[in-house]
Amino acid sequence: MIELKHISKYYEKNIKALDDVNLSFKEGELIVLKGVSGSGKSTILSLIAGLTKPSRGEVIVDTKHISKLADHFISLYRRENIGFVFQRYNLIPSLSVKENILLPLLPMKLKKEELERRVVEVTELFKIADKKESLVKNLSGGEQQRVAIARSNVNSPKIILADEPTANLDETLSLEFIAMIEELKSKNRTIIIATHDPLFFNLAFVDRVVNIKQGKIV
Amino acid sequence: MTDKFNPYLFKYAYGVLLRSFSKNLFIFITLTLLVALLSATLFLSSSIKNEYTTRVSNQADIIITNQKAMQYRTFNLNQLQRVLNIEGVKSARGRLYGAYYFEKADKKLNIIALDEFESYSNRLLDETNTELEGASMILSAQAKNLLEEYYYKEYFNFIKENGSLRKVPIKGILKSKDIQKRENLILMRSELFRDIFDMDEREISDISVTVSNPDEVAFIAQKLEEIFPNAKIALKKDTLVVYERSYNLKSGFFLSIFIVSFFTFFIIIYDKLSGVSSHEKKEIGVLKALGWRVRDVLEAKFYEALLLSLGAYILGTFLALLYVYLFNGAILLDIFLSQNDTLHHVAISFTPSIASMILVFLLSVPPYIFATIIPSWRVATTDADEVMR
Repeated sequence: MIELKHISKYYEKNIKALDDVNLSFKEGELIVLKGVSGSGKSTILSLIAGLTKPSRGEVIVDTKHISKLADHFISLYRRENIGFVFQRYNLIPSLSVKENILLPLLPMKLKKEELERRVVEVTELFKIADKKESLVKNLSGGEQQRVAIARSNVNSPKIILADEPTANLDETLSLEFIAMIEELKSKNRTIIIATHDPLFFNLAFVDRVVNIKQGKIV
Repeated sequence: MTDKFNPYLFKYAYGVLLRSFSKNLFIFITLTLLVALLSATLFLSSSIKNEYTTRVSNQADIIITNQKAMQYRTFNLNQLQRVLNIEGVKSARGRLYGAYYFEKADKKLNIIALDEFESYSNRLLDETNTELEGASMILSAQAKNLLEEYYYKEYFNFIKENGSLRKVPIKGILKSKDIQKRENLILMRSELFRDIFDMDEREISDISVTVSNPDEVAFIAQKLEEIFPNAKIALKKDTLVVYERSYNLKSGFFLSIFIVSFFTFFIIIYDKLSGVSSHEKKEIGVLKALGWRVRDVLEAKFYEALLLSLGAYILGTFLALLYVYLFNGAILLDIFLSQNDTLHHVAISFTPSIASMILVFLLSVPPYIFATIIPSWRVATTDADEVMR
């Protein structure tokens, strides 16, 4: 379903993030990309999400050559297929939980009732229904994490990408997050998590752990 | 356009404005004041220009004022007859006007003998709906206020040259809004005028001449110069030049306002163009990562800039209209028309200038929108990954 073929990625000043990476992910799989900071695992997520383009190689999702799509179509692809949980959540602090969750849906011009239905669905699923109207800046770290996951699921994406999702959480909250991921896995979502948190490496429902070191699969 | 409008993006843009409330309020107030100042200046400017053009077009082809040793003198009817005898002169009229020095108030009262100034004074009377009967007078509101200060509510005592008093009842008040504010003006019949200033029936203040063939104006003026070598002969086109010179001098002031306004405006524009803040940049990156297209980002930014700049434009224009038409352009108009100005003693009729409104709109709203959109476009077309880093 997702294929990375001979991917290399260089950032400014010829910093090599990925070097001839070949990787594929099946539908419904939960894969953990393991590696230290700067190993290139976040870059893999960005490439799959179409947030950046490879310097060399191809990213193919469901036969679509993502890396060759124009910006307009990449945005549409993201909107329809990707849910992204960022390391620092990337929520807008001065907006309410509901407003943050609705952000991916605003350009879609859905009916008000449909928007409301989706918000209710994800806030109940991720147990933040009672905080719907609260401003994000007034929430705890764990609550913000749940808002971020709710937002990444509001468009019912096929693929969920999580970049160091537990980096700012204590162990209890990290376990809560893992429980939420298990719930999503049960809904047959393809989940790719980039992390160096050992909590993820021995989970029974993780299909594969991919080791990345200095931009290469090891 | 309707199916392209996205109310959610509009609401989001409105929320963005509220989130940076103090910063946006400052820009809004500055823009509003700039629009108001520019619009008011343009409205006043076009009204003045319109006024002098109208006045000159209604004026006689030639006005002759008598002088002796460069001092003003009256003409007599014999001299008027000599003008009428010149071949090519269509008509020549003696006019009667002057000023009375009200010593107690140390103020000048401008007096026009009604029958002599047909077009101008009749225009004023039409607005007043008052018949001027016999030995009475009609005052401008300012003249009325001045006389009332000295307890002359129903009449005024003019002191004649021989020291005797001439009591003249006040018949009415001129309704012309602009005249009311601007000058101490009195209208009366010529008989009364002559009595107050001790002028005999043959005396006139000046002579207005109309020429049959416009191409012969210069030739007739030459003839008049031969007959009255010491008189001041003013041609219609010369008067226009005097008005224009006077106005152009004031335009320097207008230009200064214009430059200062636009300097301030372009500082705002420059600030906007120099880039979006890191906070805004990150927000655009996040929105892109969440599936917003470049056009979605730009649409939201468009609404954001439109709300602010159009709001400021509408409020600024409204304030300018209020200032010019309700408060008669106080201060600014006085700067444009100083006490010595040729146009000071005319009624300025304000007419809303659509062209000025369009000009200010084009100079304020689109530049602000572009200045908001262009930096956002630069960010939105960069890799979201790079923007969020």
